Amino acid sequence: MLFTTPLAFAALGGLTWGVLGSSMPGMSASITMALLLPFTYTLEPTLAIVMLASCYIGAEYGGSVPAILIRTPGTNAAAATILDGYEMNRQGRAGEALGISLWSGVVGGLWGLLMLILMTEPLSRLALQFRPTSYFGLGILGLSLIASLTGKSLLKGMAAATVGLMVSTIGTDPMSGVSRFTFGSPDLLEGIAPIFVMVGLFAVTELMTRSGVKPITFAGAGSIRVRLPKLPMMRKIARAQGVGCAVGSLEGLMPGAGGTLASFIAYNEAKRWSKEPEKFGHGSEEGVAAPETANNTVASTALIPLLSFGIPGSNSAAVLLGGLLIHGLVPGPRLFEENPEVVIGLYAGSFVADIAQILVGALILPVCIWLVNRPKPYLSGFILALIMSGVYTVHMSLFDLGIVMTAGLLGYFMRYFGFPFLPAVLGVVLGNLVESNYRRSLALSGGELSIFLEDPISIIFLVLAVLIVSASLFNEWRVATKARKERTA
Amino acid sequence: MRKDFFASIGLLLIAAIYYLSSVGIPTSSLDEPGVPGPRSLPTVLAGILAIIAMTLGVRALVSSPARGGSKEEKEDEAPWPRALGMLLIAVLYLPVASFLGYPIAIFLLLVTVAIYERRKPDWRLFAVAGGGALFFWFVFAYMLGVRQPEGIFGF
Repeated sequence: MLFTTPLAFAALGGLTWGVLGSSMPGMSASITMALLLPFTYTLEPTLAIVMLASCYIGAEYGGSVPAILIRTPGTNAAAATILDGYEMNRQGRAGEALGISLWSGVVGGLWGLLMLILMTEPLSRLALQFRPTSYFGLGILGLSLIASLTGKSLLKGMAAATVGLMVSTIGTDPMSGVSRFTFGSPDLLEGIAPIFVMVGLFAVTELMTRSGVKPITFAGAGSIRVRLPKLPMMRKIARAQGVGCAVGSLEGLMPGAGGTLASFIAYNEAKRWSKEPEKFGHGSEEGVAAPETANNTVASTALIPLLSFGIPGSNSAAVLLGGLLIHGLVPGPRLFEENPEVVIGLYAGSFVADIAQILVGALILPVCIWLVNRPKPYLSGFILALIMSGVYTVHMSLFDLGIVMTAGLLGYFMRYFGFPFLPAVLGVVLGNLVESNYRRSLALSGGELSIFLEDPISIIFLVLAVLIVSASLFNEWRVATKARKERTA
Repeated sequence: MRKDFFASIGLLLIAAIYYLSSVGIPTSSLDEPGVPGPRSLPTVLAGILAIIAMTLGVRALVSSPARGGSKEEKEDEAPWPRALGMLLIAVLYLPVASFLGYPIAIFLLLVTVAIYERRKPDWRLFAVAGGGALFFWFVFAYMLGVRQPEGIFGF
């Protein structure tokens, strides 16, 4: 399984696209994956998932290329890499910085993969005990994560999630078979696939927002080659990489935290634990190693809650969930029982992608630099053409493209008014799970709400959900009070 | 904060339209007494969104306006008419593709987007767009075997 040719090709293809895509400033890991998503529709499920997961891995390294070269992070998670990566570039050490980023990506990726393999299956076994009430509790817990995903305003996150839930009610009602919000259109009977919402929200919105904006280019294109660290340097950055691995493991498990937060925390902690903290911000090798290790660890550990319970904790994990769903694969224990080849393939493909990163990353750097410098008018056109062609591939329907455009328009307004995307995606993904299990539970109990308190798993999830929302509300109140005090002072 | 107020009006409108549409959902013969039916969740969601919208609106009205704002962030984003123009190009692709077919529609899409992104039309632009259209046709129609819209020319 590990070295079968199609699997290795899928891993290499996804990895290459991930590095190339996210090396273009503004193309986050989730956008790069969303663009690849329709393309994987015609592939075998295992290959499709391997390709998407490898793309995620590649995107985390790719994001550091423009961060180091032109002080613009290709992905949000690469923002912390700018601090020392760009400084190294200014000192004429761009190749060294790229090499450290690449090596740290491999270390973080392999560590994250180990965590993924060790933790996912035991956690998913817990889900075998699930009843409809437990699934309802899980869905509510998933929705409560909105509280930690909303950024500045919990209210806006809740509004976005509600709109997402509204979208999930479109189509045939899962319990009674009645049509809802289809307005007589047969195209809407199956509902709106989360994949279209994601492509619209992430990719189309980005194209709209960046339209006409002047890109930054890099003049010294031909002169840079990746310089992988030698043994003494590997030893020197090992401590920072250890910090990155630890932070990345914890952050990946916490839905909503994601690679961005992990890389900044890792940078901060690596500075605290470093023997040369004064070098941080002035071209420290550890300052590149820590965030790059952390965000690459998260690329694997973020899949733990996704594969175990079907809860996507980050935009990229949500896109991967979209990939699982369009192939009829439902995350959780059944995935391990019914489609073990997909899970094993995912592990094997991720391993191949992690190792191959060194070769691919070094070989395609000139292409990345070439892409970074492509005229934006052509890039925008090709990205839009890719969206149009790829989305059409899913059902061969222009109607789907209309849905993507509508999601893009919605995403534009959401971004304009400061509403976060991920709660909306969570709403679309979890809406059906919450509604159908709530109604199923009440059908079993004859309408008695006490059924939710008779299932210990449901109680645990519901209590956790209440705690998460309360903590977030308290935090928002604390920040608002502090800001008010500062204004009056 | 003015933005939040307008956002709250928008949300309120969405809640109202959604609620009015949910009234038309038929009841099912499979519905059991005491168990929520197909109309229940939509009604609850419309209510929740309306409450959130009103809270957001009231909060926007009572809070003091933010000073300054992030001008740096704004320079990185297109003004809304330009952003909507990009979307319009994408929307126009749909009738063009079904009328003229996939390769021609992709060619026109590449040319239009490039010109919209302030690229001067010259022979190079048309050559890149032609090559691009050929590339997309080769990958999606030929390699992946996806039947893309054919249009009046039959390809």
